[in-house]
Amino acid sequence: MTNPVLQINHLQKKFGHFQALKDITFDVRPGEVFGFIGPNGAGKSTTIRVLLGIIRASSGDATIFGQNVWSASVAIHQRLAYVPGDVYLWPNLTGGEIIDLLLKMNGTAHTAKTDDLIKQFGLDTTKKARTYSKGNRQKVALIAAFSQDADFYIFDEPTSGLDPLNERIFQDAVMALKAAGKAVLLSSHILSEVERMCDRIGIIREGQIIETGSLAEMRHLTRTMITVTLGDDFDVTSLPGVHGVEVGHAPREWQFSVEDEHLSAVMSTLAQHQVVALQSTPPTLEDLFMHYYTGKE
Amino acid sequence: MSRFGRTGQLIRLNFRRDRFRILMWIVLLAALMASVAWKFEDIYGSTSEINAIKSTLESPGIIAMFGAFSFTGKVTTAEIFANEMLLFMALIQVVMNLALSVHATRAEEDLGITELVRAHAVGTLAPLAAAASELILVNGVLGVLYSLGLSAANMPGASTEGNWLIGLGLAATGLLFGMLGLLTAQVADHSSSATGLAYTLFGVSYLARMITDVQHPKLTWWSPLGWVEKLAPYNNPHWSPIWLSLGLAAILLWLAFLANNHRDLGAGAITTRPGRDHASALLRGPASLVWRRQRNVIIAWIVAVIIFGIAYGTVFNTIGDILKTNPTMQQVFGSAMVHEANHQVLLSFTSLLSIVMAAVAIIPGMQLILKVHTDETRGWLEALYARPLSRTHLLFSYVGIAFVTSTLAFIGGLGGIVVMGDASLTHTTDGISAAEFWQGIAAQLPEIWVFLALTVLLVGCWPRVKAFSWFYLALGFISVYMGSLLKLPKWTEKITPTGWMTRVPLHDVNWTTFSWMIVLAIGLVIIGWVGYRRRDLQMS
Repeated sequence: MTNPVLQINHLQKKFGHFQALKDITFDVRPGEVFGFIGPNGAGKSTTIRVLLGIIRASSGDATIFGQNVWSASVAIHQRLAYVPGDVYLWPNLTGGEIIDLLLKMNGTAHTAKTDDLIKQFGLDTTKKARTYSKGNRQKVALIAAFSQDADFYIFDEPTSGLDPLNERIFQDAVMALKAAGKAVLLSSHILSEVERMCDRIGIIREGQIIETGSLAEMRHLTRTMITVTLGDDFDVTSLPGVHGVEVGHAPREWQFSVEDEHLSAVMSTLAQHQVVALQSTPPTLEDLFMHYYTGKE
Repeated sequence: MSRFGRTGQLIRLNFRRDRFRILMWIVLLAALMASVAWKFEDIYGSTSEINAIKSTLESPGIIAMFGAFSFTGKVTTAEIFANEMLLFMALIQVVMNLALSVHATRAEEDLGITELVRAHAVGTLAPLAAAASELILVNGVLGVLYSLGLSAANMPGASTEGNWLIGLGLAATGLLFGMLGLLTAQVADHSSSATGLAYTLFGVSYLARMITDVQHPKLTWWSPLGWVEKLAPYNNPHWSPIWLSLGLAAILLWLAFLANNHRDLGAGAITTRPGRDHASALLRGPASLVWRRQRNVIIAWIVAVIIFGIAYGTVFNTIGDILKTNPTMQQVFGSAMVHEANHQVLLSFTSLLSIVMAAVAIIPGMQLILKVHTDETRGWLEALYARPLSRTHLLFSYVGIAFVTSTLAFIGGLGGIVVMGDASLTHTTDGISAAEFWQGIAAQLPEIWVFLALTVLLVGCWPRVKAFSWFYLALGFISVYMGSLLKLPKWTEKITPTGWMTRVPLHDVNWTTFSWMIVLAIGLVIIGWVGYRRRDLQMS
């Protein structure tokens, strides 16, 4: 396996007495889109700012391309592209000027690809940044990032101000990066986006990574929803590993959730009671999210 | 819902938002006025002291700085006080009003807060009305405090009417410029251009009053800033300047409401034009970015300081001609002595002016260095620091441009004084020579650099207390500018760099002082730089 692009080990950050990051550990590999999800204030942006060398970790370590994110930030940024969650632009410069400036500062130039991206996102580059909406400011940062030929891309809630059309353009561009073997760290609230694009996911809560893995792996940790209609009067409450049993709308219809490890045992028992109809729903990312965040099913 | 609906609630909100700001201004200004008045009898109590300062105040150089006042009959302590303090306090009062007015209106709008407020059941003109009420209350309270402070000080020659004239006169002048700030906030399209426009008009009225004061004091009635001089509170009380100020303030407020009514939220009468599609080849890094963003401000400052200098220079021929005030002198001393005396007068005038010029030249540099931190908190640096850009490179881009700006502004300002001043003289040899000019430059540059270096230190290590640099500059300026007139103890001059160097070109540059001030400046910058490299950046 190739070396991870990003490696974070037991990262901590304190602001005075407030412990913003308690224990962050994960890595991102080349050719992978890593989804970084968690509620507001959980520490996503703080983690990203440590990675950018804007703030210094209190303990633990983080490396990008094998180099320390604080001391070697300039060398790392040579090969890194970043789109912040809230894009703040210098109000008296135009979007076109800002894109060019950001590219030049990475030693790259405005290319045909940049023009293509400007056209795709439909940005008016002659307007002063002061007059841009949130979505347009995000477009400026996205165009600059995608025009860059970096090896690691960090997106911090990049689509929160974009319309669905532009969101799709963003997603296609990220998939192209992935196909080109680039590493991507995507922090997002839009779970459908994460579900569609990310290979692996890290969930952060109150400054701690509480779960990492692929979506498939995570599903095993939760329960599958089952809706079943039986041919006899069997009471499903007696089954092992079954939770939240509810009587359905039709007679002999049941709704319940099953822990994944008991799933096959439950299925074979149900089979003995003449299954008339059966519907199983794998947990969505949203269910997972709720599961981890509220501690409820 | 009327157009002024819920103005009352917004006024309370404004006071809550600005409580520290307002409290600080009121306490500082009221204390300054009261303490000077309190000490004034000790300073200028006796007739001989009064006569000595009276002739100083009648010299054109001091008139240019402190205003033209007429003395009649027996001059009292209170009259001297009014002469020294009125214009000076008016200037500070105007600065306060411009800061508060733009902050309460356009700055809030730029941040999107006005939009949030207007989305509620609030009248369309209510935010502006609330800001105007805030200014009326602040100026009113300050005016009353001035009057009460003066009454308590009870200077010889003071009258109740005069005390109230000073308090209310300063309040009216402040309010007038506060309303001007409200108007420019409606006309310009963002807060910094509103402030720039307001300060330009303030500068024009200051220069107009200076030139008319020196040459034709009657014409000073044409400058709103000159009205405060016409109060003549303790010798010939006039209330008309107050009515004029209040009248003009009301007209300006009415115009502001009119402009507010006719524009969209977030837009101004002067609209933002579309700009370049691509960045110019020159815009390629942090230094060129600072220049691109701030060039208008930087150029405007340098040009303004030069114009300021030229305006001061125009009064050289009046000041540097002792024969105008003492026609018999030539017969007594001979023309060589007269020319030497003229030269001395100009040297001492230039020495005082170079302190003023240095203080003014420091302002744009200090603003640029403080921007390192404001840009940081506004999130503008986040996009830059995601690039291969070191903290050192970014910091020194701002700091370098700041030092160059202040240095050029100072050389330009003093150059304006000397070139224009010498040109206005009939006997050019009475004027300031090139060597004396460069001595003057060499004497003030270390002071300018120490102030800027201190700002670098604060931004690098303790950005929370960065406002201290403004306070320290104001302290330095006041201690030297007012020091001799208020007979402040010598040590007050020494607490800031403004007073460390001998007065040049009146005296020679002290090169030892020069050297250690340069070393100090370099040391402060290095500490600030190390601090900036090590600290966390604050992002919104």
